[in-house]
Amino acid sequence: MIVRPVNVTDLPALLALARQAGPGFTSLPASEERLAHRVRWAQRTFAEQVERADADYLFVLEDDDRQVVGISALTGAVGLREPWYNYRVGLTVSSSPDLGIQRQIPTLFLNNEMTGQSEICSLFLHPDHRQGNNGRLLSLGRLLFVAEFAHLFGDKLIAELRGSADEKGSSPFWDSLGRHFFKMEFSHADHLSGLGNKSFIAELMPRQPLYTCLLTEQARAVIGKAHPNTEQAMKILTAEGFAHKGYIDIFDAGPVIEAPISNIRTVRDSQPLVLAIGTPDDEAPVWLIHNRRLENCRITSARARQAGDSLIVDRLTAKRLQLQPGDSVRAVPLLNRQPQAVAA
Amino acid sequence: MLVLRPVELTDLPQLQRLARESMVGVTSLPDDTERLRRKILDSGAAFAKDVQRNGPENYIFVLEDPSTRRLAGCSEILATAGFSEPFYSLRNRHFTSASRELNIEHGVPALSLCHDLSGHTLLRGFHIDTALVRTPASELLSRARLLFIAAHSQRFADVVITEIVGYSDDEGESPFWDAVGKHFFDLPYAEAERLCGLKSRTFLAELMPQYPIYVPMLPQVAQDCIGRVHPDARDAFDILEREGFETNSYVDLFDGGPTLSARTSNIRSIAQSQVGVAQSGLAIDARGSYLVSNDSLQDYRAIVADLDYRPGQPVTLNAQMCAALKVTQGSPIRLIAL
Repeated sequence: MIVRPVNVTDLPALLALARQAGPGFTSLPASEERLAHRVRWAQRTFAEQVERADADYLFVLEDDDRQVVGISALTGAVGLREPWYNYRVGLTVSSSPDLGIQRQIPTLFLNNEMTGQSEICSLFLHPDHRQGNNGRLLSLGRLLFVAEFAHLFGDKLIAELRGSADEKGSSPFWDSLGRHFFKMEFSHADHLSGLGNKSFIAELMPRQPLYTCLLTEQARAVIGKAHPNTEQAMKILTAEGFAHKGYIDIFDAGPVIEAPISNIRTVRDSQPLVLAIGTPDDEAPVWLIHNRRLENCRITSARARQAGDSLIVDRLTAKRLQLQPGDSVRAVPLLNRQPQAVAA
Repeated sequence: MLVLRPVELTDLPQLQRLARESMVGVTSLPDDTERLRRKILDSGAAFAKDVQRNGPENYIFVLEDPSTRRLAGCSEILATAGFSEPFYSLRNRHFTSASRELNIEHGVPALSLCHDLSGHTLLRGFHIDTALVRTPASELLSRARLLFIAAHSQRFADVVITEIVGYSDDEGESPFWDAVGKHFFDLPYAEAERLCGLKSRTFLAELMPQYPIYVPMLPQVAQDCIGRVHPDARDAFDILEREGFETNSYVDLFDGGPTLSARTSNIRSIAQSQVGVAQSGLAIDARGSYLVSNDSLQDYRAIVADLDYRPGQPVTLNAQMCAALKVTQGSPIRLIAL
């Protein structure tokens, strides 16, 4: 498997993936026209023809038979063209020392604080291929790309995880809040949001802070709660150092997880090494390896041994990376072998 | 015959009885001897004070049966709402939510804390014996305040407002309070109202929601309470509505009850009341019922009387009426049809 920039010839495969993903996956609409537009845009992005504000790095996961089985994306920056909104879950204290009353009321503050940060998004892996290291490769490959080209991104990476919704795709948070301001169903708003109309929708939201005690109990219960099907994505990113710092999506209250780029494990621990061909044994650790190229970016995962400044991989891996012995790679162990440090 | 007059210190025990009987939402009548004594003294000082423009004065009136000395009701005028302590209301206003791209535009009503009604004259503390609700006595207790304002207009503001007690159920639970105030105050409705009467209102400021409360987010039962009058406050509401008072976009913070307001000069009993002179007589061939006041200050009196009133002519009053109004032949009086 390799992760590489998307290509126009991938369109039929992308369309099939979008259909597989279903309507809940709004950032990958099953519309040929929209997908074609996005692919062309991504190609211009990898060719460095667009500004950071518009950059959309769309990757595909491809097997050795050239079959595209997954997709993931990375944007240059959110909010630089049109406002990017989140709620921050803050606190309001209602207190009267005289009466011995103190109420702590979680309160939602509308903000644009993520403006200029880069977003990882649009990850979908075909169910038949959710095995081995495929999910990690597809997700973490983006982080290794950021490590190599940090100047193309913001200070932080963020990911908006889908919020809780019932089987019909309806969100209790939306029903308690957004619906009153939009007079439309969540699925419709979500659809518009996927079409890139997010800020137009956000214009309709109240600007003033919102007391969560005025939301329904069901809505309060899902604030900052990710949809169960994002569990795996969350687990992978949390291990990389992503954390929920109180920002949520304004529509479904799903958590926005974030990490300063320099603190992300894949970024921090990755290093430039010289590629060498050999025969790493089955005990060798699995590495995530990038060919350090932008437009011809290739990222793969493979067993490898580090020897000094060299990384010894097998011939097939070098071929997947389109590299020769002696070429430079950026690499990091795929799994974090150190026990996770307990946060102070 | 019932006579309306300024409250006196000797009324304290009876005033406290009235306070005890009054509705939970009538916060200007705390069931607390010291607070009431203070209020009576302040009222006496207000009537005695030489006032050129409205200030912190609070005038308390009581309705007395002179033969038994029993008090049947009380009412107040606070010359300036928000003069000595902040006067809070919730303003119910539409926030326009618009998106040109999506071709959506609609207003979402939201309640915001405000001091907008500060500076107006406030009618409050209205309480009358249950048996007298919807009788001329109830008109007297409420509207004699307006005749007093007519006679002493320099003491009052250009706008008069009042807050009508909002809806609560038979158990004394307010759905509006339960959906809004309770979250911030952590108190039952009745307790909050009681504290409001007893304590300085600064506790309100400390606890009150500072951000707007979007109405559609409230449960329907709470939304239905916005501007809804408590059944027992309907009489007070109707009397003032007939006077030309109108509801506006302000509601009470605790129970969502409506606020009524009117330009002072447009209030019916103020604009249409007639000034005349008293003439003592015996037999009165009554042609109608009137509210009659003596236009005095500390000796202010008002009654309901059946009179043979002809505009421009002296007004014949019998001995009992003259005594109740403390007027004699030639005294100025003011009257308005009941």
